Amino acid sequence: MKRSVIIFAVILFFIPVSVISYRVFVLRYPFFPVAFGKIWHVSMEARVVAKEKEIAVEMGLPANYGGRRVMGEKVTSGTLDFNFFNEAPNRFGYWAGRVDIGDSQTISYQASVLVRSRKPREKPPALEPYPAGIEEKEQALAERLVAAWKGLSPPERLHAVANAASGEWGAAPPASSDLQEWAALREKYGPRMAFLILFWAADLPARIVEGLLLDDTITQDFHSWLEVWTGKKWESLSLETGNIYGGPSKLLPLVIGGYPPLIITGGKITEMRWTISHRMQDYWRLHFEHVRGSSRLLDRLSLFHLPAEFQQAFRILLLVPIAALIVSILRNVVGFPTFGIFMPVLMALAFRNTGLYYGLGIFTGIMLLGYLLRLGVDKLQLLLVPRLSMILTFVILALSFAALLGSKFDVKSVMAVGLLPIVILTMTIERFFILIEEAGLREAVRTVLGSAAVASISYWIINQEPIQFIFYFYPELLFGVAGLQLLLGRYTGFRLSEIFRFRELRRPS
Amino acid sequence: MIFRAIRELREAGVLGMNGRNAGFILTSNARSRYPSADDKVLTKRLALEHQVPTPPLYHVVEHHGDIVGFEERLHEHPEFVLKPARGSGGNGIVLIKDRTKAGFVKQSGEVIPLAEFAYHISGILSGIYSLGGQEDKAIFEALIYPDPVFAAVTHVGVPDIRVIVYRGVPVMGMVRLPTKDSDGKANLHQGAIGAGIEIGSGTTLTAVHRSRVITHHPDTGNQVSGIQVPHWGKMLLMAARAFDMTGLGYLGIDMIIDKDRGPLLLELNARPGLAIQLANRAGLRERLERVEKAPPEVFDKPEARVGWAVETFKNRDA
Repeated sequence: MKRSVIIFAVILFFIPVSVISYRVFVLRYPFFPVAFGKIWHVSMEARVVAKEKEIAVEMGLPANYGGRRVMGEKVTSGTLDFNFFNEAPNRFGYWAGRVDIGDSQTISYQASVLVRSRKPREKPPALEPYPAGIEEKEQALAERLVAAWKGLSPPERLHAVANAASGEWGAAPPASSDLQEWAALREKYGPRMAFLILFWAADLPARIVEGLLLDDTITQDFHSWLEVWTGKKWESLSLETGNIYGGPSKLLPLVIGGYPPLIITGGKITEMRWTISHRMQDYWRLHFEHVRGSSRLLDRLSLFHLPAEFQQAFRILLLVPIAALIVSILRNVVGFPTFGIFMPVLMALAFRNTGLYYGLGIFTGIMLLGYLLRLGVDKLQLLLVPRLSMILTFVILALSFAALLGSKFDVKSVMAVGLLPIVILTMTIERFFILIEEAGLREAVRTVLGSAAVASISYWIINQEPIQFIFYFYPELLFGVAGLQLLLGRYTGFRLSEIFRFRELRRPS
Repeated sequence: MIFRAIRELREAGVLGMNGRNAGFILTSNARSRYPSADDKVLTKRLALEHQVPTPPLYHVVEHHGDIVGFEERLHEHPEFVLKPARGSGGNGIVLIKDRTKAGFVKQSGEVIPLAEFAYHISGILSGIYSLGGQEDKAIFEALIYPDPVFAAVTHVGVPDIRVIVYRGVPVMGMVRLPTKDSDGKANLHQGAIGAGIEIGSGTTLTAVHRSRVITHHPDTGNQVSGIQVPHWGKMLLMAARAFDMTGLGYLGIDMIIDKDRGPLLLELNARPGLAIQLANRAGLRERLERVEKAPPEVFDKPEARVGWAVETFKNRDA
């Protein structure tokens, strides 16, 4: 390899290494800006109507506990005073003040909560005694019911008890007299408490949790579930079905231990609304706030200073060079045939609107249609530009027709074709046709498949939010991408496909 | 396994696509010299200056205004070939063997009326057959009657001979034989077969058909190896001179052998394909590197280069 190429590449690699080092070690940027986990934006808005001269609202709010981190909190309280108070592991917001009777106040709370997919280790909780009021003979009944499972490991015991809650007692069901008494107990304390009693009897610490389901949703109610200690961690169970919630990242606890999540004195809440959304945007906003406050040159040069409506475009744009790099690798190192360099990249960008499967479907459909059309007009021997224009017109007609069909069957993805791929598709049809003429159908089909594969791989890569974020955060990484592209430009080794092509020439040493 | 395969290819001195592009074409072929290979009119003019025979040129039409009366210019030549100057893959070429009152008679016997023929010329000028779509010229040249030497191993169409020349030194050759599969075209991509030629003696070796090594023609069933290519020495010299004509360091020279006129330069290719290696069952890189190490006096004259090539590359399998 040429010396100058290597020197140039080393310089290109040096730029991101030094800039990122500076950012990390001097400006204290996070080394890996994407936390492993998801950020949820949680916001609550409620209207409180006073019935007395003094009102107070006490509400459970997200706390830094169990792998969750609460950031960027904002509270409004109208004319009321607001305070946080901690009662580990819980944290409450307390709105209070003197008002006129009948007066209504709007209070709100919002925060970003980072939910890591792995929970941190916790100390095992002490096994609590039965709550007061549960009679001895009821305790004895519960203990008789779970006696068969005493020898099981905690997770197995958890499953056995959870199944029992929905009436499945497994291989050795208890005596029918016990079952009758159990039904009476459930009647007396309600299914929740009965459930808890059963866990306590089985020596599994359990607690009721009030909180929110983490889903892109708007809700007016808190959700409650059960947490059971299995010896290593708290497992979350549905109170209704006893099913275990998949993964800890689906729930946001607000109040742990069975306390009410909301207490109002002197008034009532007429409207309360929780809005929960998962947005990558929150990563963006979080760092944006940090960067905006800084006067450092590198911070001022950050892409976070772009107006928000342009940021989205740049998030994608910064990944196009990576897609182009992938194309170079797949073409020059692997030997995938593709139509040009940019066609697969642009296809990948178009797939962002349509989704991969519809995108590939539209691509195939249009290619077939275009090919037939091109075959039809070939006899007419049209000039290049009018010929391409005509195919373009038909591509647009076909896309419009597909959109109409999509609207009829309510498939939005088909309607979402942007302007981008149309011209590219037209050029591709032309090149596909020429390739069939010059190199035969096999080669042409291989090229179509190669292009589709490269487009799919590129699509997958540019759709990775963490990669988008890292490049947006550290755009200097593009110099490194350019360095790789430079090195690939002087790659003179074999393509993997040539191992097959020239297999007859191989000379075993 | 992959690494072993790659090592074995390297051992065999095989040239890959990346090696060809980055190692030879980009370094040896200046962009400014490309027209001398791409434009057949320019190629012919340069060939004339360097005493390289080409099919006699009867007439060139460059502008739409010149189409009128073109048939007057051809009245001495009842048979001729019409081709686009920048065409490739044989597209747009019409072979005419006679002229009647009704129009021009194609080789197939079909008659093209004058007006329709003029329309075809107009199409060529507008760039229908030129790949980039740019404006083109229409060339009228002599019809070729191929030497019967390859008749037994040709389906229909005209076989041609490709020689790769590096820095003016012929390094590898093959003859491309049309098949039923290739529709009479001498294009390996389209299914023509390529038989390697032993540089020293000019006899054919085994052949490649769709990247598989074969010994017999798929249509005629005749053996493709052991055929003595006539005028081989002269053809090597023509190929070597093509370097002086164009200044292109890495070049593919396509020639045909007319039964009366002998070998004629048909066209030049600044990015010749790599399948020639399969036809010869030999790697190009190995030979190109030997050219790079050749003593400087070898490069003085085309004759010296051919002599050196014959000495260096001969008798490999004999």
